[in-house]
Amino acid sequence: MRRLMYLLREALANVLTNRTTTMVAVATTAFTFACVGVFLLLYVNLRAMALSLEQDIQVIVYLQDDVTGQARAEIEQQLKADRAIASLAFVSKEQALADFQVQFPAESHLLQGLGQNPLPASFVVTLAAESRSSDAMRRWADRAQLIPGVGQVQYNQAWVEALAGIVKYIEVAAIIVGVILSAASVTIIANTIRLALYSRREEIEILGLIGASTAFIRVPYLLEGAALGLLGSALSLVILKAGFELFRHEIRSASRFLGVDALLTFFPFEMCLVLVLVGLFLGCAGSFLSLLRFGEGRA
Amino acid sequence: MIQLFHVSKYYDRRLALSDITLEIEKGEFVLLMGPSGAGKSTLLKLLIGAERPEEGQILVQGRSLSKLRPSEIPLLRRKVGVVLQDFRLLPKKTIFDNVSLPLLVQGASTGEIRRKVTEALRAVGLDHKKDLFPPGLSTGEQQRICIARAIVNGPIVLLADEPTGNLDPELTSEIIELFKSINARGTTVIVATHDPNVLAQVNRRVITLDHGKVVSHEQVCS
Repeated sequence: MRRLMYLLREALANVLTNRTTTMVAVATTAFTFACVGVFLLLYVNLRAMALSLEQDIQVIVYLQDDVTGQARAEIEQQLKADRAIASLAFVSKEQALADFQVQFPAESHLLQGLGQNPLPASFVVTLAAESRSSDAMRRWADRAQLIPGVGQVQYNQAWVEALAGIVKYIEVAAIIVGVILSAASVTIIANTIRLALYSRREEIEILGLIGASTAFIRVPYLLEGAALGLLGSALSLVILKAGFELFRHEIRSASRFLGVDALLTFFPFEMCLVLVLVGLFLGCAGSFLSLLRFGEGRA
Repeated sequence: MIQLFHVSKYYDRRLALSDITLEIEKGEFVLLMGPSGAGKSTLLKLLIGAERPEEGQILVQGRSLSKLRPSEIPLLRRKVGVVLQDFRLLPKKTIFDNVSLPLLVQGASTGEIRRKVTEALRAVGLDHKKDLFPPGLSTGEQQRICIARAIVNGPIVLLADEPTGNLDPELTSEIIELFKSINARGTTVIVATHDPNVLAQVNRRVITLDHGKVVSHEQVCS
């Protein structure tokens, strides 16, 4: 117990001895983590938006004009049996015309000039959640196209694929930026620990002489690194949350983005916890690197 | 208890110790004499595993130091007390905390630490100064604290490297008397020094080194 108290006290003493260096290290680490956090936040929100849009996207299976009632029933049967489909609604030619007249009253005279109803009957399909990705949707549409009696299969392909592409780019960018800035954080913490090791080299030497194990000598520095990483990542979350709330407030004030603010979300609690733990781990890694590089604490 | 067989040590091809063979029994008081650069400190460093010999074997309590794994070196050092010329006390820790360090690293309980530190400080006559900090003590007192730290965990051997180098003749006598009393309690004491005042006060076994070699080996009867 006394040994544990000693190790904790030493870690605290390290932090207090190099107060300015520690504060600079925490602030810089917080800033670098916040940069990674901005990308993560962008990724989390765009991904949530993509998922929500995917849920709204419907696939329209147009039937050929010469399809008989029996053929239509067979197509409906086949679609209903398909596990990739969550729900299905039939829109007759008459219904399609009525919908068109309601949605585009100014253009309805164009169709009247044609004499007969040119709009095809269709099935409006909502795919099951696991089939809503752009790839799965494309594969399903290609398959549906081959059903006899089906004329054309349409869905908002460009939208889905563009959004999936953006999310993918953000994901890659977040990984690259995350790796680079994490390495930067590790370096910053490693340098802070190196300074602590340098300022206490005599004490380290004495501890070695009186029989302290390598672990006993190293633990306070590992704790210090962990504390720096933890404080840095916690502070970065505070900065991110403040920035996020400010951004949401601005969005709310701008009337053309009406309702968008409700779609924006901050990291859930579990993710905040993971980010703080990642900071703690990177801090430990920084300390460990310094201890290894300078061979301090070795008998 | 300590045996050296044909031990040689080089620093960048420069010979520091050459073909040293000697044996030190349990409870002995040995003076390692010789001028600066004779190899006295190197010999002490070999005994605590801070350096490894290029040739030869060193046995401490029958255990070969060259076969020790790095993780076993701290265990060896817990059996060996070390006193240095420059004291190496931690200025920001109290006397009590300085002396308790060897017990702390071994995981001793709070009660044991309190008891043993008080005993060690009493042995060097400074138990009343346990709450002070090293810079507040005189040079002689700092050296005595250093001795208390070296004996607090009851080492089998006490190594002192030029322990009187920074002290005047009067304080030198005090420190030597302290070593004698520690030795009288059964601890083997090895003092490396070039100070003739020490030799005059310690009529014990004297090993003289010069240029890394043992040049004389005398058993002085007290």
